[in-house]
Amino acid sequence: MEVAKRGRAALTICSTAFTTLGRAQASALGDPALPIAVVAHPFGLRSREEVREMARQCVTDIVALITGRGCDER
Amino acid sequence: MSDDRELVRQRARSEEHAALFEAPDDIDAINRLYRDRGWSDGLPVVPPTVERVERMLAHTRRAPGEIVARIAPGFGAASVEHIAINAVLAGCDPEYLPVVIAAVEAAAAPEFNLQGIQATTNPAAVWIVVNGPVAGRLGVNGGINCLGQGAWANATIGRALRLILQNVGGALPGGMDRATQGQPGKYTFCCAENEEANPWEPLHVERGYRRDCSTVTVVGAEGTLNMNTHTKDPGELLRVVAETMVHPPSNEYCHGGEPWLVISPEHADILKAGGLTKAEVKRRLWEQSRMPARRMTARDLLRAQASRGKELGEIGPDTLLSISRRPEDICIVVAGGPGTHSVYVPCFGNSRAVTHEIAESD
Repeated sequence: MEVAKRGRAALTICSTAFTTLGRAQASALGDPALPIAVVAHPFGLRSREEVREMARQCVTDIVALITGRGCDER
Repeated sequence: MSDDRELVRQRARSEEHAALFEAPDDIDAINRLYRDRGWSDGLPVVPPTVERVERMLAHTRRAPGEIVARIAPGFGAASVEHIAINAVLAGCDPEYLPVVIAAVEAAAAPEFNLQGIQATTNPAAVWIVVNGPVAGRLGVNGGINCLGQGAWANATIGRALRLILQNVGGALPGGMDRATQGQPGKYTFCCAENEEANPWEPLHVERGYRRDCSTVTVVGAEGTLNMNTHTKDPGELLRVVAETMVHPPSNEYCHGGEPWLVISPEHADILKAGGLTKAEVKRRLWEQSRMPARRMTARDLLRAQASRGKELGEIGPDTLLSISRRPEDICIVVAGGPGTHSVYVPCFGNSRAVTHEIAESD
């Protein structure tokens, strides 16, 4: 969020179990619209290939979040 | 719910001062209101009327609007007035207010890592240890059943801090408090050190304060584990305590933590009679509680490597992991009454206890 305040593109990545926390904390710190890329929780029992696929999807989500809400729009 | 809201009228609100509500003159309706709004810990509260809050505020010289700290994870402003209101809610006597204020200041210190403690899946609770003359004056129990029920000061001071962490810090269970199970200590967790029965220097003196100074120390505690041994041999006593501290799924071995021990007066006397200083007790426990890394699961060993790599270098299955980075990071309080029970208090790991002086108004 400190990076975002300086006008740079920024987001947070968290798992589904922590989305409530991330959203509430972003609001508390004054940026309720902070983009959050969410990955499924938990990771523990997933195969390496499943985790790789999650990472690929997360990268796609991050790009969409950043390009859909560039720092100029903040 | 909507009926309750009709009973309430907000008259003022600012960061430093709480909103003032007109509530019905009915304890059941007031408690229903607190319950519905998530402003309680699940237990009935004492209504924080203007009169009660003012009686509380009379026990500090600080201005009601002074912001003592911002409380993670919501970073709400804990003004003196907010602290007083939550102390009333918890049932504190007005004289307890300076202790609660000091506990808030200590818990908000960066090294305590309140953000981590409040938002983690770990059951970490904030344990308050009171030292110095104030403990006796206010009746904070450090003797028989000091971690149990019965002492008004222990119960309500610990509860007041919990309510502040929740109501000001925003750590509501299922919201920003992500604890998987939590623990009973999250209702209240407060005691004094039994300084009279302590054969060594008390905790606050060890941590740099004068003996006649009063302090609170906050600890990010995972829980309590009782250790009952009838041995009279100091070496045997330390061996079984060290073996109790060893447990593979431990945040402390993973991160190099700060484990705490509540040593009973009888056990402390055995160690003292054996010629052991507190520092020597810590050194021996640190040595004897080292654990081969292979006892951890493979995944946890990787976590330890990530967390302690700078400290320990490459960690292999045969690496002997210490429970803390240094022997002096093992912390000891002497408390309790007669009996052969001491208590291991495993801690959050990514937190350091903080001691803060209590500024009494008298």
